Amino acid sequence: MRYHDVWIIIPAFNEASVIADVVADVRTVFPNVVCVDDGGRDDTGDRALAAGAHVVRHPVNLGQGAAIQTGVEYARSRPGAQVFATFDADGQHRVADVIAMIDRLRTEDLDIVIGTRFADTPPERMPVLKRLLLPIVAKLSPASRKLRLTDAHNGLRVFNKTVADGLNLTMNGMSHASEFVTLIVENGWRVAEQPVHILYTDYSMSKGQPLVNGVNIIVDGLLRGKLRR
Amino acid sequence: MNWIQRLLIGAIVLLLVYLLRSRRNAQSRAWVKVGYVLFVIGAIYAIIRPNDTTVVAHWLGIGRGADLLEYALVIAFLFTTMSAYMRFKDLELRYAQLARAVALEGARVPPDVVEPAAGAKESE
Repeated sequence: MRYHDVWIIIPAFNEASVIADVVADVRTVFPNVVCVDDGGRDDTGDRALAAGAHVVRHPVNLGQGAAIQTGVEYARSRPGAQVFATFDADGQHRVADVIAMIDRLRTEDLDIVIGTRFADTPPERMPVLKRLLLPIVAKLSPASRKLRLTDAHNGLRVFNKTVADGLNLTMNGMSHASEFVTLIVENGWRVAEQPVHILYTDYSMSKGQPLVNGVNIIVDGLLRGKLRR
Repeated sequence: MNWIQRLLIGAIVLLLVYLLRSRRNAQSRAWVKVGYVLFVIGAIYAIIRPNDTTVVAHWLGIGRGADLLEYALVIAFLFTTMSAYMRFKDLELRYAQLARAVALEGARVPPDVVEPAAGAKESE
């Protein structure tokens, strides 16, 4: 199979209503999927397993950053794993985008490809405030600016074994996206952005982040590195 | 701005920098305890002889002993808050590592996957 060395990592928290469809959709192309059930109260894990995903379950809820780290640690320990992708559980990402990003990772000399929502026109149905603020956040972060990234908080990423082995996310909550970018700078990983389409469904919008959470992300970013790793 | 105010603000900044930079080693914990003992002695003295704090405040160019105490308390409060915050963050990280280890131990594999030879997964 063409993508036998690819692992799709899906962090999920109480996503039972959609997880089976998302896993099944991903598995039409990619055989290896690991779903990290982040200590949810519903049967997300069982449904993901039934849909053909490997399931790792946090005994307690830790946050999306911790779930991604767990998924990457599981996937990188699997024999033959070479390419890794993080994919949101709420169905807002498209498998076609992952395929294009893997092609880029393989043909160009890159370690990681990150999805961006702002390559050309802002996506339809993106809330107005988000449309205005996300590019500003990307420009405010020194690490993002250095790499000329336009979208600091896109959940769709494709990376190779170098990145997977070096990844050590310590921000358990939503600050992991900025931390990911900082790690790229610190480790000198070669990065590129790929325009992707986000499907802002009513479901995915209801699961989205309130913008005030950005304050947490900024404070975590300032304190990062002051903590023991 | 009064020179004592400058000094106190400087002390706040220095404490923050020290706290942020210091690893939680035995030495820094020992200094925290020494500081705490001094704080307790000072507090008891101030309670027994409140007028003395005004004398000390006058030496430092502050009008009232109560103001001097307030400055000292602000510093102590900031120090405590920051130190508790950093410690919680540190614990949170270790807690996540523990939960992750438990999660990886109990990974479930879909039935159609042929598991590699026993022990291969644990070799990582």
